[in-house]
Amino acid sequence: MNYPVWQLGFPGGLLIAAVAVLHVFVSHFAVGGGAYLVITEHLAYQRNDDLLLLYVKRHSKFFALVTVVFGAVTGVGIWFTIGLVSPEATSSLIHTFVWGWAIEWVFFFVEIAAALIYAYNWDRLDRRTHLAIGWIYFVAAWLSLVVINGIITYMLTPGRWLQSKGFWDGFFNPTYLPSLLIRMAMATALAGMFGLVTGLRQATPVRERIVRWAGAWLLIGIALLPLLGRWYYGKFPAFAHDYVAGLIPAARRAVLAGAVCAALILLLTMVFALLKPRLVNAAVVAVLLMCGLLVMGSGEYLREFSRKPYVINGYIYANDMRVADVTRISTQGVKQVSPWVMAAEPVKYGRELFALQCAACHSLDGYRSIRSRVRGWDATFAREMLLHLQLTRGTMPPFAGNEQDRAALGDYLASLAPAAVAAGGEIDAGRQVYEMRCALCHSIRGSRRPLDFSGMDAGAIADFTRTLPDLSADMPPFTGTESERHALAVYLHDATK
Amino acid sequence: MLTNLPIPRIDPMPAPGPIWLLRTLLLLTFFLHLLFMNTLLGGTVIAFVCTLRRKRSLFAAQLAGELGRILPVVFAFTITLGVAPLLFLQVMYGHLLYASSILIAVPWLGIIGMVILAYYGVYYFSLRATSHPVSGTIVMGLSIALLASIAHTYTNNFTLMLGPDRWASLYHRSAAGWNMNWTDPTVLPRYLHFVLGALAVTGLFLVIQGLRKRETSYGRWLIDQGTLVFVAPTILNYLVGFWFLLRLPGGVRMTFMGHDTFPTALLGIGLLLPLAAIVHLILARGNKSPVRQAIIGIGGGVGTIAVMVLMRDAVRNAYLAPHFRFEQLPVAPQWGIILLFVLIFVGGLATLFYMLRALTCSPNRVTAATAASGR
Repeated sequence: MNYPVWQLGFPGGLLIAAVAVLHVFVSHFAVGGGAYLVITEHLAYQRNDDLLLLYVKRHSKFFALVTVVFGAVTGVGIWFTIGLVSPEATSSLIHTFVWGWAIEWVFFFVEIAAALIYAYNWDRLDRRTHLAIGWIYFVAAWLSLVVINGIITYMLTPGRWLQSKGFWDGFFNPTYLPSLLIRMAMATALAGMFGLVTGLRQATPVRERIVRWAGAWLLIGIALLPLLGRWYYGKFPAFAHDYVAGLIPAARRAVLAGAVCAALILLLTMVFALLKPRLVNAAVVAVLLMCGLLVMGSGEYLREFSRKPYVINGYIYANDMRVADVTRISTQGVKQVSPWVMAAEPVKYGRELFALQCAACHSLDGYRSIRSRVRGWDATFAREMLLHLQLTRGTMPPFAGNEQDRAALGDYLASLAPAAVAAGGEIDAGRQVYEMRCALCHSIRGSRRPLDFSGMDAGAIADFTRTLPDLSADMPPFTGTESERHALAVYLHDATK
Repeated sequence: MLTNLPIPRIDPMPAPGPIWLLRTLLLLTFFLHLLFMNTLLGGTVIAFVCTLRRKRSLFAAQLAGELGRILPVVFAFTITLGVAPLLFLQVMYGHLLYASSILIAVPWLGIIGMVILAYYGVYYFSLRATSHPVSGTIVMGLSIALLASIAHTYTNNFTLMLGPDRWASLYHRSAAGWNMNWTDPTVLPRYLHFVLGALAVTGLFLVIQGLRKRETSYGRWLIDQGTLVFVAPTILNYLVGFWFLLRLPGGVRMTFMGHDTFPTALLGIGLLLPLAAIVHLILARGNKSPVRQAIIGIGGGVGTIAVMVLMRDAVRNAYLAPHFRFEQLPVAPQWGIILLFVLIFVGGLATLFYMLRALTCSPNRVTAATAASGR
C-alpha cells in the first residue's frame, strides 16, 4: 500500500522461500560445521591420527568456500529479497531490531575472519592457537544464530511485544527457546551431512571412521528433531494448529514431507553410515542432502505458513498491510493512502488493487492461482466475497478499501473468472456450485462452519438460499442463476442427508 | 510528505537510536567498506593486467600471485563491511531505498547472483591462476565485468533513491522491476568517479605493499606502479568530478559552491587533498627513503576517501531536502541495547585483535597479509 509492488508474475513469498531455504541450509551447516571441525581436530590430535587431521584440513577449506561465500552472500540475499517483497515488514523489523542486527553483524564479522584464519592457517599456527580460533569461530557463529533466532521467532509469536513494543519482549518470545534448540539440532545434523560429503573423498583406511563419525552427528541431530519439533509446534499460535490439523492441506503436507524425509535420513544413516559405512557412496550422500534440504524447507514453510494471514503475527498482514491501517484505508479509500494506484478505468484500477492486496500470495494462473479460486464468480458475488475474506479459512487478510475500491477489485476478479464447466448430472453441477460459492467458508460435516440440511428437502434448501443475508452480516447473498440454485440444493440435500 | 510525489510514508516505529549516532555509524562503516571495496575492484583489474603481462615481467607475475592470495580475503570483508552501512541506511532512508529498489528489482536482486559468481571467480583465480593462467585470466575478466556491473547497479539505485520524481513513470513503464535509472544525467559521471577512485585506492594499496618490501627491487617497483595507478586515475577524476558537479541539479551543486559552508569546505579539501597525495607520492617514488613522503601521500589519499564519503552524504541530503528531513523521523533510543552493542563491538574488536596478533606473531608467518589469506 505504502510501497510500489514488485509484480514479478508469481507470489513474492515463493522467491523469499527459495532464497531463504538455500541460505538456512548452508547457514545451519555454518554453525554446526564449526563445532564439527574443531571437535574433530581435537580428536585427531588426541588420537595422533594424521589421516583424520588431513581430512579436517580439507574439510575446513570446503567449509570456508561454502559458508563464507554462498552462506554469507545468500544471507545478504534474504535482506535484498524481503526488502523488495515486503518492504513495510522489513522496515518495521529494522526499526524494532536494528541494534540486534548490529550485534549480529559483529558476530558475523568475527565469524568470517575466524573462518578464513582457521581454514587457511593450519601450518602457520600452533595447535593450541588454531583450536582457539576454531572455537572462536563456532561461538561467533552460534551467537549469530542466537540473535537471528530471536527476530525470526518474533515474526511468528511476537508475544507481549504487541502491547509493549519493547525489544526484549519481542526477542525472547514464546517460540524463542524451542526454535533455537531445534535449529541447533538441525545444525548438528547438517554438520554430519556435509562431513560425509568430504569424508567420501578420503583414503580408504580413514574413510570408514569418518563416515561413522559424521554419521553419528547426523543421527544425533535428526533424532532430536521429533521431540524438539513437538515442543516448538506446541508454542505455535492456536490458528496454526488448525491449519496443520487439516484446515490447510498444504501445511499438513509440509509436516508430513518433513517427517518422511527425516525418517529416511535416520534410516539411511543407521544402515549406511553406522552399520555399513563401506557402502556409503555419492548417491547415498546426495539423497541425504536432498532429504536434509526438504526437512529444512518443510520446517521453514511451516513456520512461514503458520503466520498467515500475517507476516508479523498480529501486526502486519502477509500483503504488507499494517493491521492498524485497515480502518483508515477502508474509510479514506486506497487512492487516498497509496501513491501507487493511478488508473482511472475501473478494471485497470482493480488490477492495481489486486497487485497491492492479493499478489503477495496469489498468482493469476500459477501458484495459488486466483483464476481457479474465482471460477464461476460474477461481479456481485466477487464484491460480496471481498467483505468476508478473513472468514474463509483464516489465512486471508481482510480487504481494505472503500466501496469504490471493492467494486473495482470485485469487477476485476469477475473478469478473471473462467466460466463454470458444464457438469454431467445435477448433483455434479451442484457440487461445482457448492465449491465455487460455499466451500470457501464452509465444509460438509467437518469443523469449518459445517453445513447440515438433514430433514430438509431440495426445495426447502433452495428457498433457504434466498434468505442468506438475513442469517448473518457475514453471509453473502446467492447470486447464481435459478438452475444453479436448484442444482446446489439437490447436491446439498444429497450430501447432508 | 513534503511534496506530492509518490514517497512512502515514514515507518511509524521510531528510530531506535539518536540520528547523530546512526549517521556516524552509517558513514564510518561505509568508509571502511569503501577501503575494501575499492581495493577489491581495483585489485582485480591489476591482477588481470599483471597476469596478462606475466611473461614480460616477473614482478607482474609476482604481484598477480600476491593479489590472488589477498583478494578473496578482501572480498570477504568488502561484503561483511557492506552489511553494516546497508543496515543503518535503512533506519533513516529505508522508505526511499525500498521504493527505488522495487522499481529496479531485477537488476537489484541480480547483485546477489553476481556477487556469488564474482566471488567464486576470484577464488578460482586465487587457486588456479598459477597453474592455469589462461582460464584464470578469463575467469578474472568475467569477475571484473560482474563487479563493474554490481557497482553500476548500486550507483543506479542510490541515485534513483534520490529522485522520487522519476519513480511514477518507471513504475508505469515496468512494475516487474525491469527498470534502470538511465535518464539521470549524474549516473555515468558518478559511476566513473567511483570506479576511477577505486583504481586510485588500489594504487595506495600497492604503495603500502611496496613500502613493506622497500629494500627489494620488487618493493620499489610496487611503489612506482602504485604511484602510477594512484596518480593517473586521480588526475582523470578531477575532470570526471567536475563533469559530475556540472551534472548535479543547480540547487544541489550550489550547496558546494558557497550556499552551504560545510559542503563547500568539503569540496575545497576534496580538491586539495588528492593533489597533496599526488605530489608526495611522486616525491616518494624518486626518493631513496620514501617512507615519510609515501605515508603522507597515503594519508592524503585515505583522507580523500573520508572527504568523499562526507560529500556523498551531503549530496544525498541536498537532493532529498525537498522530500525528507531527519527531523521527520520519530526517535526513541534503545539505550540499553545500544550499550550492549557497544560492549559486544569492543569485544569483537578485541577478538579480532587477538586473532590477527596470533597470526602476525606466528613463527611461520610470511607477512600479515599473506598470513591472513592463508598461503
